[in-house]
Amino acid sequence: MPTLAEVVSQLTNGVILGLILALVATGFTMVLSVMGVINFAHGLLFALGAYLALSLLKVVGYWPALIIAPLLVGLIGILLEQAFIRRLYGKDPLFVLLLTFGIAMMGEDLIQMIWGKLAFSIAAPDLAKGSIDLGFMIYSKYRLFMGGFALAAIFSVWLFLAKTPFGAMIRAGSHDSEMVGILGKNLPFIRALVFGLAAAMAALAGIIAAPLWSVRPQMGLDALLPAFLIVVIGGMGSFWGSVLGGLLVGITNSLAVMFVPRFSDLMMYVLAAAVLLYRPRGLLGTRSVLE
Amino acid sequence: MTRQTAPISALSRPTITFGLLLGMFVVLPAVLQALGISFSLGTEILIIALFAMSYNILLGTTGLASFGHAAFFGSGAYAVGIAQNYGIDGAATGLAVAFAAGLCAALLVGLLVMKKRGIYFGLLTLAFGQMFYIVALRWDGLTGGETGLTGLRRPAPFGLNLNDQLTFYYFILAIFMVALWVIWRITHSPFGSLLAAIKSNELRTQYLGYDTARYKLAAMAISGALSGLAGGLYAWFQYAAYPQNLFWIESGNIVILTLLGGGLSSFFGPILGAAVFVGAQDLISSYTEHWMFFFGLIFILVVTAFPNGLPEALARFASVLRRSSGSASEPASSAHVAPARGTAP
Repeated sequence: MPTLAEVVSQLTNGVILGLILALVATGFTMVLSVMGVINFAHGLLFALGAYLALSLLKVVGYWPALIIAPLLVGLIGILLEQAFIRRLYGKDPLFVLLLTFGIAMMGEDLIQMIWGKLAFSIAAPDLAKGSIDLGFMIYSKYRLFMGGFALAAIFSVWLFLAKTPFGAMIRAGSHDSEMVGILGKNLPFIRALVFGLAAAMAALAGIIAAPLWSVRPQMGLDALLPAFLIVVIGGMGSFWGSVLGGLLVGITNSLAVMFVPRFSDLMMYVLAAAVLLYRPRGLLGTRSVLE
Repeated sequence: MTRQTAPISALSRPTITFGLLLGMFVVLPAVLQALGISFSLGTEILIIALFAMSYNILLGTTGLASFGHAAFFGSGAYAVGIAQNYGIDGAATGLAVAFAAGLCAALLVGLLVMKKRGIYFGLLTLAFGQMFYIVALRWDGLTGGETGLTGLRRPAPFGLNLNDQLTFYYFILAIFMVALWVIWRITHSPFGSLLAAIKSNELRTQYLGYDTARYKLAAMAISGALSGLAGGLYAWFQYAAYPQNLFWIESGNIVILTLLGGGLSSFFGPILGAAVFVGAQDLISSYTEHWMFFFGLIFILVVTAFPNGLPEALARFASVLRRSSGSASEPASSAHVAPARGTAP
């Protein structure tokens, strides 16, 4: 049996992983509920954040890269929305999912063409190197930094959604976006904003996860599939549902690594299936117009 | 039993179409040989066409867009491989095992998603479909992990040598035609009409007293079982079962090729889609290693340019051509008519 310190350290790992996944999933579910779009390219944007930061930090250093790369990816997200996804609103959701499938495939191959197939690693910033002695256990400083940063990012997105007029429009849009348009709000602008914001959040998560996950072309999928399940667990369109779902998936994963290491990444499916059977709309989900 | 509610009515004389199709596929090897292409391309088209026809029981007939069908196809492939590793070798048992594996996989996913529709159905099938891929990667004692199960053997029913490409082609063709006939009978039965009713309005079908979730589960089970059968044939075809057979890209491929052939509105559409897509796949992967880029491009093109499939796109193109060629030959005579048109109220 693992010792108490090991269990506590694994649980902390799980919470931190959960916060990163929550950052990916909240953006994913925002796009899903406002636009009715399952964005399969969301994982690509996550990977793109890490790759752009990888190239940028050689030129401008870690901290500027941490800000510039998500902004760039946000811009890419807006471009994708304007160029492709916008054309398919109101049509069968099947088409837009296939479109984002196509974008994800092309994007992954483009990444391979530009940066190659091999995995890279990004070094942790000087501030967060090494480990810290907490008395009962020694813990990586970078992981704590990751968790704190993800928490701060989630909290600022929540502040934006809860306290600004744009945020109010987005929240209204996730209940019924048609109605928001009928009420005279600029729906195309809100949609572009949501897509850009979600893309930037995914990219940010990709960058802060990069020192622990290796940076490779397929890394997007490792974040995207948990995001799917988190939305199922937390409830479609629910911000705090996604955060809760993220934490649950993270903790499940870290406990599974200790007890059933080989099938650790299957446990989140078991969790999602259980939630689906007993609470079909997810833990914090409410009835949605998309049903 | 009247067939007035047949969901897909593009071709009203099924016997003729079946005959034509059979004739085309019987002579296909000769055409391939004349073009200098291996018979195995024809075999692959047949197997993928069977997969697409099975898939279309859900998409075209019931209106459910599943994005996890590779899980059922791959389960069939792995089942044949695993059965061989346990010494079960025959053709009939192989087919039965593949069918059963697809059925079980589809029931498992179906129980979780049968009450869902639309976008949520798509999301869930995609997520749970990928679960099978992870199982295949992790349970390496049974599945061979990342390398998959290689070195499988083709069976020898009635003393046939299926390692001969042409014999194997006709063996697959026989199974394909039987399965096609079964799918036709299912979609044109009262049960098929009910699936079509679910497609056009699920809520109203519920109000009529039908438990639609159960019918959706049944449709998924049939579709999954036949997909598993196609997967089993594919394992024989490639002498292996690979994790890629379970991967989301395979799930996406089957959706896109069904759309490409016009499967949303035509019963036989997926066969055309399979022929075009498998042909393109063969061509692209023999010229470049960046096949994913071009596949992505195909996805984007199909969805934005002709979501209703090639037949409809060709028809539209032909009518544009006719109009433009009509106006090109017209000017001499239409010059006199034009003013009259302009002044008409």
